[in-house]
Amino acid sequence: MKKLLKHISPLAPDDSGACSVLYELGGIVVICDAGGCAGNVCGFDEPRWFMKKSALFSAGLRDMDAILGRDDRLVSKLAKTTEQISGRFTAIVGTPVPAVIATDYKALKKMAEKKTGIPCITVETTGTHLYDRGEEAAYLALFKEFAKEKKQVKRGKVGIIGATPLNTGLAKANKIIEKYENAVCFGMDSGLDEIINVSECEKIIVISNSGIKAAEYLKEKFGIEYEFDFPCIPENVLESAKILDGKRVLIIHQQIAANALRDKINGCDVDCATWFDLDKNIAMENDIQIKNEDDLADIADNYDVIIGDIAFKKIIPIFKGEYIDFPHFAASGRMYGQ
Amino acid sequence: MSEAFYITVGELAAQGADNIPEELVSSKHLIYSSPATLDFNSPGAKGFGVKRAGLAIPGSVMLLVAPACCGRNTALLNELGYSERFFYLLLDDTDIVTGRHLTKIPKAVKELCGELDYTPSAVMICITCVDALLGTDMERVCRKCEEAAGVPTVPAYMYALTREKRLPPMAAVRKSVYSLLKPQKRISNECNILGHFAPLFDDCELYDILKSAGIKKVRELSRCKTFEEYEELSRANFNIIINSEARYAAQDMEKKLGIPSIELARLYRLDKIQNQYRLLGRAIGAETDDTKYYGETLKVIEDFKTKHGSLTFAIGECVNADSFELALAMTEYGHRVSEIYGTAGERNFVFIKKLAEVSPETRIFSNLSPTMLNYERKTKIDAVIGVDALYYHSDIKGIEFNDEIQPFGYRGVKLLFERLDRALEERL
Repeated sequence: MKKLLKHISPLAPDDSGACSVLYELGGIVVICDAGGCAGNVCGFDEPRWFMKKSALFSAGLRDMDAILGRDDRLVSKLAKTTEQISGRFTAIVGTPVPAVIATDYKALKKMAEKKTGIPCITVETTGTHLYDRGEEAAYLALFKEFAKEKKQVKRGKVGIIGATPLNTGLAKANKIIEKYENAVCFGMDSGLDEIINVSECEKIIVISNSGIKAAEYLKEKFGIEYEFDFPCIPENVLESAKILDGKRVLIIHQQIAANALRDKINGCDVDCATWFDLDKNIAMENDIQIKNEDDLADIADNYDVIIGDIAFKKIIPIFKGEYIDFPHFAASGRMYGQ
Repeated sequence: MSEAFYITVGELAAQGADNIPEELVSSKHLIYSSPATLDFNSPGAKGFGVKRAGLAIPGSVMLLVAPACCGRNTALLNELGYSERFFYLLLDDTDIVTGRHLTKIPKAVKELCGELDYTPSAVMICITCVDALLGTDMERVCRKCEEAAGVPTVPAYMYALTREKRLPPMAAVRKSVYSLLKPQKRISNECNILGHFAPLFDDCELYDILKSAGIKKVRELSRCKTFEEYEELSRANFNIIINSEARYAAQDMEKKLGIPSIELARLYRLDKIQNQYRLLGRAIGAETDDTKYYGETLKVIEDFKTKHGSLTFAIGECVNADSFELALAMTEYGHRVSEIYGTAGERNFVFIKKLAEVSPETRIFSNLSPTMLNYERKTKIDAVIGVDALYYHSDIKGIEFNDEIQPFGYRGVKLLFERLDRALEERL
């Protein structure tokens, strides 16, 4: 049955993705929920929660707030918090509750900006999609709201979009930026100023599909070229993959990470698969989007080797080939190197 | 940027239960995800939330019917051995608006039961805020599931939206897990302890006291290894409620199974524990003798004071105690409590009023207040109790005192001081 998960836990949802992008930018972020979604984000999907402080809150909605659509109460709570906590902007992240009651985010944004006097961005996540959709919407909203001015280009400066723990398993940017001379990861070890000054970048590197739309937007607005890379494949995965020879290999990850690993493997017939968005423009002929557990079970036997998060192995208990663990935080919640 | 909000116990007691400041009322502000909030707000992530509690029936499995975001953190429970018992029917945008997923649930339950290599004793259907808003009649859906799969199916409501209502999620799930019990002949010398999803410490004196009162068998849901053992819970002559969240389940058991109940509170003041046991004896028509336990515990408390002197504590709410009652106990034992991180309400205002008489300057902070992001220690603290208190004061010695196995009665008090002693010993 489609959408029935019998072997794995749900993958990181869109609201977690949105929060992951916004986490370090110095805003006051409100998850528009009753409490459980914020608990999932802070208690599971955001490994930085106990390392780096962030003004990330739950709206604490109750049934009558939802039934009566009491947006004014949410805005009042938000305004009160801006008086207590310093924040350069506010952000409202959606969950299933506002999705059910069809919350008008445009109105919320206007109300919040009027009441607080600082910019507000809204991310219309619903909790039903996967994290990359939430990240995509958050990046786009951020650049549209804050990257307004064309700045002088700084020679050699590289901007990286997609650097979140959910994509990389990393909570710090050092491993991602080490191969570049002057690089900034938007939203990881950098703040809102880097978003505002994005047009200083000579080039954008997109390390996850969640950054593609933002990169296209920046290309159109500021003429910044972008390319794809995933500079943080774990060493042990690379070593195991490089020695494969003449094998039929399936790599399961977010598409850009999977593509990057494919590029490092020689002499094999390699396909990539992803549970997340698959961009046809960067896909090869046999690449696959996995929509449910059965999809993976159906194709596994076509391969000698599968490289993917160990969590997915449970779906294919009778797979006789080699399975190489390539952790993906958005699947198993494991960090880089774990 | 304002400082973390606090009010002193004296000020709060003077204002009264009807005038609790907005910063201490969770519905009046955004919610900060402190460690205590995560316990509270993240069912399934820590301890026993609705998801894990719903699997208290031996041999049961759970189908979580929800958007992906509601089940995400269940991965944490895999480490505790639950991975083979959780399944998910994910909802999409159309489902959450139209409720069309309801027709898929019986099919999913049937498929699930068909693929397991055993027949589960029950399928718990866990639903979330979406179905709360849709007004889903889950009892009806469960009946359809039973028809389709031939397995008892029970709803578990993880309705975070209704947390402060008459039947909050953790009370509702307690009712759910006892709902499969069938009436049978009750045995006069058997009883149940209701309240938690893990048992009391094996050496808790409550077992001995009940035994000395003629009770031959004391059952707890968490000690039931098989469904047959679970079914024996309905033989009890009476239930002892040790957590008020089990009150509704007990009322339901009285209605359906004819089992009456007695409620005991978890307390840390010796004289109150003694009094409570006296009342328990009276209620079950037996004399209880707790002199030995009282004496032993008093000695532990006094030895601790002699060894460490009078200490100043910070007490959190992520702890196996009511923070205000525990603060009152520590104060009565000759210590000071400078800060409490807790949720003040009608339920514990009686302790706040008493605490105001002996320690009016104690500061009360709310773990849920956004201002806690700015929290900085401003008072003298020698030791801390509680996961949240340890989070705020990671440089100070202390204990979490938040085990799954439950402390209770004199044993609980002894355990508290024994652990504090061990934690502080390093400093001597």
